[in-house]
Amino acid sequence: MSGAILPAPSQRTATTGSGIGMSAWANMFFVLPYIIVVVALVIAPLFLGIWLSFQDYDMLGGWAGGVAFENYTNLFSDRIFLGTIRNTLLFVVMTTPAFVVVGLFLAITLNSHLRRHAVLRSVFFASSVLSVTVVTLVWRLVYLPNQGLLASVTNLLGLPGIDPVTSETWALPGVAVVTVWWIIGLPMTLFLAALQQIPKEIYEAAALDRASRWATLTSITLPSIRRTIVVVTLLEVILQFQLFGQALLITGGGPDNRSRPMVQFIYETGFRDLQVGFAAAASQVLFALMLVAAIVQFWVGRSRDER
Amino acid sequence: MKIRTPSTATGDRLILLAVVLLAAIWIAPIVWVVGLSFKPNEVLMRTTGGLVSPPFTLKNYTDILNSSAVFGWMLNSAIVAIGQMTLTLILASLTGYGFARTNFPGKRPLFLLTLVALAVPEQAIIVPLHTMFATLDLHNTYIALITPRLAFPFGVLLMTQYFRAISPEIEEAALLDNASRLRIFIFIVLPLSVPAQATLGIYTFLHAWNDYFWPLVSATRPEMYTLTVGLASMQTNFAQTEGLGFLMAQAVFAGLPVLVLYLFFQRHIVAAVAGAPTR
Amino acid sequence: MGGLSLRGLSKSYGSLDIMRDLSLEIADGEFAVFLGPSGCGKSTLLRMVAGLEAPTSGEIHLGNRRIDAIAPGERGVAMVFQNYALYPHMTVKQNMAFGLRNVGTPRDEIASKIAIAAKMLEIAHLLDRKPGQLSGGQRQRVAIGRAIVKQPEVFLFDEPLSNLDAALRSRTRIELARLHQRVQSTMIFVTHDQVEAMTMATRIVVMNHGRIEQVGAPMEIYRKPSTRFVASFIGSPSMNFLPVVQAGESDGRALVRLADGTVVATEILSASVPRSGEMTLGVRAEHVTPGSGTAARVDVVERLGERTLVYAIVDDGSTIVYDEPGDVAPAIGEHVRLSLDPANVMLFDAAGLAYHAEPRA
Repeated sequence: MSGAILPAPSQRTATTGSGIGMSAWANMFFVLPYIIVVVALVIAPLFLGIWLSFQDYDMLGGWAGGVAFENYTNLFSDRIFLGTIRNTLLFVVMTTPAFVVVGLFLAITLNSHLRRHAVLRSVFFASSVLSVTVVTLVWRLVYLPNQGLLASVTNLLGLPGIDPVTSETWALPGVAVVTVWWIIGLPMTLFLAALQQIPKEIYEAAALDRASRWATLTSITLPSIRRTIVVVTLLEVILQFQLFGQALLITGGGPDNRSRPMVQFIYETGFRDLQVGFAAAASQVLFALMLVAAIVQFWVGRSRDER
Repeated sequence: MKIRTPSTATGDRLILLAVVLLAAIWIAPIVWVVGLSFKPNEVLMRTTGGLVSPPFTLKNYTDILNSSAVFGWMLNSAIVAIGQMTLTLILASLTGYGFARTNFPGKRPLFLLTLVALAVPEQAIIVPLHTMFATLDLHNTYIALITPRLAFPFGVLLMTQYFRAISPEIEEAALLDNASRLRIFIFIVLPLSVPAQATLGIYTFLHAWNDYFWPLVSATRPEMYTLTVGLASMQTNFAQTEGLGFLMAQAVFAGLPVLVLYLFFQRHIVAAVAGAPTR
Repeated sequence: MGGLSLRGLSKSYGSLDIMRDLSLEIADGEFAVFLGPSGCGKSTLLRMVAGLEAPTSGEIHLGNRRIDAIAPGERGVAMVFQNYALYPHMTVKQNMAFGLRNVGTPRDEIASKIAIAAKMLEIAHLLDRKPGQLSGGQRQRVAIGRAIVKQPEVFLFDEPLSNLDAALRSRTRIELARLHQRVQSTMIFVTHDQVEAMTMATRIVVMNHGRIEQVGAPMEIYRKPSTRFVASFIGSPSMNFLPVVQAGESDGRALVRLADGTVVATEILSASVPRSGEMTLGVRAEHVTPGSGTAARVDVVERLGERTLVYAIVDDGSTIVYDEPGDVAPAIGEHVRLSLDPANVMLFDAAGLAYHAEPRA
């Protein structure tokens, strides 16, 4: 995932002349505007955030000096915050396998130039372009007790009604379903791109070797895109850690905090209660968790590659 | 594409059937909402069945058009999305070219900085970012809505890769044609990168249009809301179901433009998404 | 005016030396061909002249200007690239005009220069097309046209024929030679194809491992290669090399003995040849005649139309290729006897240095 995209140390480095590859201070002006933007709007906030997390800073009460690890100790004795960690992890565990499995199934099934496959791909991708507001609006309507589409279907099938918005059991899965519905297009597209890299000749050779459909899938298709499967899993874990809008707008984090994710906690403490230092500390915890997850994933993928 | 023997044809059909069924489930919520958005609120109060049976009405849509706030939000979204798109294209092109084709002291560390920025999620920095803009008293301005999104490493990587694929011979020819570095960039490299610009442009536009978290915390005055934030603000009284049709019309009204955009630029959008794993 | 002088050029990438202390004079109006295998440094040398790469040390002078530190566009050189490097988004006309526009040439002057060049290259009907709509040969002409309109002091060609098919390549060779007659500018042409070098060059610069092996007119290089490398690189089929030991002299000329014991007379002054050490005899196919001499067995017969080549294996296992003078080639497996023309055999010492026949007074 990294390494390959670093620019190779240029073969033509010299201090004089003006050839295409030659080094010159003036060339830095091409990247300077962007570097300034990144430093001002990513790097600086990153360090400011770390600093803030050790401060007693309240937007209303103002700055009351450093408090060392107090924000962190408070966080880890905060039942609601601990609940959001659990919810977030649960959500990641629910959605990531769904994204990988459904995305892979769709990609393998729809990987062709057939027109009907192209139409189906469009259907599964289309919802990805909607904003979280539109998506949650649609699904709150679907989830409406009695009048909602879900209720109509369960009634029709004679099943007991589910209300994901108010049920402690179904709130988080309800949000997970919306999320998978919303952006299944991303893993599907990534898998499709990988599948299209597999040379057609390999399939022809397998067919001549009388490989069954299942053998072709398990010994050619899946091994060929193993790297992509790792990358997509990693990507989804990182993305789903950032759950926010769907939870806020569908369940509001309820009932009884059962669907409140970490980001919503950051939002509420930082921007509703204006406890900036406390929210910054929560941000650091989230970032650390995401980094750990990413490193574990990367490491697992790596060691499997080496075997 | 794949080699098929007659014995697998049945299996193919079963799988296709499963996918079509799945697609039906996928599309059902949208069809349901679009259909009901044309029904009077009073009818929906009683029943949401009978999707295709009259009475129908356009009142839900005229109600939206009569609420002036929605148009203001749309305008804000357009300004923010176009601003972000334009500035991102300029920054990403310059930077991508700089990384792909020029050499300067410190190039590697600066490129690494770009990669590091890629690893920093929005949520990790949104609190301090908000504090910074508050200190500068910039909230509730277009500047605040646009600038934080310009640090978009993905765009830089996309352009870097694209520029790297252009044959260096062409630029060398231009160099021998007495063109300055800037002229080469403007007259040779930029025209050659139009496909990549289109992909990145559409992607950035959609991203900005759909953005939620930052506009939510930065734009606190209703007249500075973007459409995404504005619509969300109207959903708070969801329990009052007398406006079901109105809510559905809102969803359609806000979702339709991007869906149309998607139909026109599907190729570019998918290409941008497919480019994501290369980061 | 357009004479080019390369003085003590060196080029290294980090610790890797590509070229060391290379010097060369190219006279005004010459058609010089840099010839050598890939990686020999010929392209690097050309790119240094163009200004696309900077020499690590050394100087480049064009006429009485030193040009190694000035921008490529200001050196008075034009280059035709291997893949033509036409600007894909510009029409042929715009491609040719770009360089002139960059230096502020008046519009009507640009138009007339393009018209003249287009007529010369027979591409006038293509001026409004884009490169993507042209065939390989047409693109080649446009690339040359783009160089011509700039009226450079030196034309640089970087293997421009390698992407053309065989028929077009030989036609373009002739056209380039004709173009050189016409514009009388200095031209430097880089290639690994010895036929291109032989047919077009007024002087060939044979390069290997970043060094110049030999500089000379085509026939001089063909007849009197100064090293074994040059001898093997020039000529098709490749020169025959046979290990020999010295066997005294006759009338002051060296005699050598082949592995099978056959003694071969040469016209090389024996005083010039080192007394000891391993030697290699070199002889081209056209200087081997069947009849008497060393015994060999026919292995392969290659009929090329205008000539027939016979590959025969001698006793020690090495192969000799020779021109079959008659119309009837020997059968495979047939035993033949081969004699080597004393006036045209050459010897190479262990270091690869060549010793040539000396004409008798």
